[in-house]
Amino acid sequence: MNARSTVALASLVALLGAVALPRAAHAQWWQNVPRTGPRTASGEVDLAAPAPRTKDGRPDLAGIWNPHSNKYLRDIAADIRPEDVPFQPWAKKVADERADGSHSREDPDANCLPQGVPRIGAAPAPWKFVQTPDLIVVVHEAFSLWRQIFLDGRKLAANANPTWLGYSTGRWEGNTLVVDTRGFNGKTWLDQVGKPTTEKLHVIERYTRKDYGHMDLEITIDDPGAYTRPWTVKQDLTLLPDTELLEFICNENNRDLEHLPGKPLQ
Amino acid sequence: MQNKNSPLVAAFAFAVVLTAVATAPPAHAHHSFAAQYDAAKPITLTGKVTKVEWTNPHVYVYIDVRDAKSGDVVNWALEVGGGPNSLIRQGWSRDSLKTDDEITVEGSLARDGSRLANAKSIVLTATGKKMFTGSIPTEPVSPLPLSR
Repeated sequence: MNARSTVALASLVALLGAVALPRAAHAQWWQNVPRTGPRTASGEVDLAAPAPRTKDGRPDLAGIWNPHSNKYLRDIAADIRPEDVPFQPWAKKVADERADGSHSREDPDANCLPQGVPRIGAAPAPWKFVQTPDLIVVVHEAFSLWRQIFLDGRKLAANANPTWLGYSTGRWEGNTLVVDTRGFNGKTWLDQVGKPTTEKLHVIERYTRKDYGHMDLEITIDDPGAYTRPWTVKQDLTLLPDTELLEFICNENNRDLEHLPGKPLQ
Repeated sequence: MQNKNSPLVAAFAFAVVLTAVATAPPAHAHHSFAAQYDAAKPITLTGKVTKVEWTNPHVYVYIDVRDAKSGDVVNWALEVGGGPNSLIRQGWSRDSLKTDDEITVEGSLARDGSRLANAKSIVLTATGKKMFTGSIPTEPVSPLPLSR
């Protein structure tokens, strides 16, 4: 490298530094994301802009989403009447015993175990839809977990090994993504107040992106092991723009268990 | 986010922090708030930071608090917000609080009688800067009574 090119390179480095440093000095890595999406005059993401579509004309649900409220984490039935949750007698007894918090130590979530579906989506840690024509991946910041939703027409295997987050297939009904999930282990609580699930749980989620920044979510709980009939609740999600997911390893330092009432989880 | 070199950097940064607080997602609560803390038992503590655990699922800060009457020094544990991620999104960093910083904490007392509280806000004595924790009870303030 001769003197001239060295000077040129040094100038380039200095220029890049001058441009990049002020931002780097103030922003975390996850704030340095490309400024995509519709913008308002002030440069903010226009959450009221029309919902986008993919190149093949499907609704584009990609993005980082967050529950609008954390009340559904507390009580998935927060917006419906208590009597409209069709408990079987044993499930009602369990839910009543847990409702005052006296069994909170037994909640898998408090033990840093997966929240299950649909509760993981109501956790106030954001999650990301990564969308392709045949597969949607849900990356959850909560406990750094993930789900796969297959849109390629495959059927769920009978007698699948029971899991915390189940096996999901999806299909489009107009502008709505309909997700069926089965194959659960029956260990999760639907919410913090403790509505139980069984291995017979089948969850139907219906995602409809209303506009750029808002999504409706309708959830049907179909668990003939715990409830007398399928029952449905509605939640709303908000886009979290200009950010990224962050690692969240729950078991790093879980000091809460010893302060929670209830027995150690078996 | 532009014009970070202007003379208004400080005011701008302050506005950014305010905006971040206002728009931050609610803290992650992986356990029931009401089962662990009693929102009806607010507590204010002032003391020096002895340890910061910048860890998931919750950040814990420990402070030495001197009892005004007896003069005894007691170490308190403070659960701060939903963990590093929610605090980072509100403008905190792992260096926001350091050992020997004096702070005043407003929070809710633990139900189990231990020297533990859930911090709602923290004021740094040296600067007067108030830091919100984003700790939001995920249930009504007056939960059903706990059987113990």
